[in-house]
Amino acid sequence: MPEPKDIRNGLVCVGLNYKTTPVEVRERLAFPESKVPDAVQEVRGLPGFEECVVLSTCNRVELYATHALPSGDDGHAALREYLVTRFELQPEHAEALVLYNLDSAEAARHLFRVVSGLDSMVLGETEIFGQVKAAYKVALDTGTTSRALNKLFQQAFTVGKKVRNETTIQRGSTSVGSVAVDLAEKVHDLKECRVMLVGAGEMSRTCAQSLLSRGAKSIIVSNRSYDKAVELAAEMKGTAMKFDEWEHALHEVDVIISSTSAPHFVIKPEQIDQVMRKRRWEPLLIIDIAVPRDVDPAVNNIEGVYLYDIDALQAIADEGRRERMRQLASCEHIIEEQLAKYGFLKPGGGLVPA
Amino acid sequence: MPTSQQLLLAATLIFVGAIVQALLALKSGAWKQGRAQFLLMVLGFALQTDFIYLRGKEVGQCPMKSLADILVFIAWSIVMLYFLLGSSFRLSLLGLFTAPLVSIMHGIALTAGFAPYPPKGQINALVELHIALALIAYAAFALACITGVMYLVQERMLKRHQIGGLFYQLPPIQGLAQAIQRLVWLGLLLLSISLGVSFALHLPMTKTGHVVFAWGVWALYAVCAFLMWRHFTSPRKTAWLAVIGFILPFISLWIVTHA
Repeated sequence: MPEPKDIRNGLVCVGLNYKTTPVEVRERLAFPESKVPDAVQEVRGLPGFEECVVLSTCNRVELYATHALPSGDDGHAALREYLVTRFELQPEHAEALVLYNLDSAEAARHLFRVVSGLDSMVLGETEIFGQVKAAYKVALDTGTTSRALNKLFQQAFTVGKKVRNETTIQRGSTSVGSVAVDLAEKVHDLKECRVMLVGAGEMSRTCAQSLLSRGAKSIIVSNRSYDKAVELAAEMKGTAMKFDEWEHALHEVDVIISSTSAPHFVIKPEQIDQVMRKRRWEPLLIIDIAVPRDVDPAVNNIEGVYLYDIDALQAIADEGRRERMRQLASCEHIIEEQLAKYGFLKPGGGLVPA
Repeated sequence: MPTSQQLLLAATLIFVGAIVQALLALKSGAWKQGRAQFLLMVLGFALQTDFIYLRGKEVGQCPMKSLADILVFIAWSIVMLYFLLGSSFRLSLLGLFTAPLVSIMHGIALTAGFAPYPPKGQINALVELHIALALIAYAAFALACITGVMYLVQERMLKRHQIGGLFYQLPPIQGLAQAIQRLVWLGLLLLSISLGVSFALHLPMTKTGHVVFAWGVWALYAVCAFLMWRHFTSPRKTAWLAVIGFILPFISLWIVTHA
């Protein structure tokens, strides 16, 4: 099988993502992880195709391939047809399917942006880097990549690292859950962090899950409905506690996430002041997600106690998003520099045509 | 200007360069304790070491008698401890906070000037050890002071919800509190050994003012360490103690060298 002489020749990317396609269509076109090795083999087996990598995540399905067909349009059409056939789309669904068809330098730019997290739903998120690496590894192990795609993906990983190292695109929190994690990390070593949920609302569950996924040590759930506390504790592999007992555990936890529906303050300064001595001044982070608030704001005046209500968390997340947007231009600049370095841009500017 | 002082001036400029580099990077929001920062600290340390070596040859003994020499030796010890403690405590911004203190100490030393020493008949290794250990202990107290400043900065940002560039670079506040304690304990241990050596030397406290001041400093930090150990003070007060407490050894150096 002849190999392309140049990485820029015969490279195509066909895909769909959260911007082009609603989730009900994306889920129909997603490749289960176990089926990706078969998929890359199938694409490479298409007439005229040489190499292939399939990237399938909850937010995107993309086929990167090299081919020896007469034109890029032929490559796009073949890949589109493959998707329609592979997922047995009805003619009306096939016709409504919106895909982006990219060639050569455009495909490389797109991949570099994807790896850098610039094409992600949460700008600058880092998970996509690992997902692309995993997709490439599957293709590599299956033997469906060769010189062109190996080179392209190695370049993409270099660009992704460069973007993250030279900008702060991944820094700052963009959601209430990640703000909670960032704050907890700046108060305690997360691996030693013990978390208590007072109230089992959806938002506190999200925050707790974020903390646990980042390595928090343990969790205690206390709720007016004890059954619900038990259910949530079981889900999070934690301990349930009756609502009238949560105060007794205050000295044992490092982070409190409160989200009860009480119309008055549940956590008061006198309770926390007493417990701080018992805690030997170990710092305590309190995240109050409830509206109306559960925690008396005066609690923040106690030494070693750091209180954040929902507005404070939201303000930090908003600033995080703005900060990432400010970094976007620097990231795009790095990507353009790298495209030029790897020969995807013409000396005077503009993409090298396919 | 003698070669030794030229080296010290160069070291000072490098530490100032490290501060500028870190501040510019912080301002752009992309600060990381990268290679540049580390290399500047290494280069500054190498020049400091070279200065101490040349100065020792100039005065024919360990250069730890004048205020200027003592300040440089403490500054050198601070940078040495920064290398030793930097990785274990992971105080990622310690370099940024260390460089200004070291630069100020160098600045004072260069302004005060390096006077020649009276000739020394015979060098007693125990005396040199006693002095060197005391000065390294002071360096540990200086690092505790710097860590205390870091704690107070981080604490203020957490309390006021000022989640900005510096916030992400500072270690967890709990880690900083522990680091202050460890540095105070380390300094106290080194100073205790130094004072133990003074007993072996039969140094009469009444005739050697610096030993009296060293005991004063020891007592101050022993009280601090005890308060920390028994958790009588909050970490915030401990940080303030580490910051303000360092003023005493700093002043004592001035008094001792001008007595």
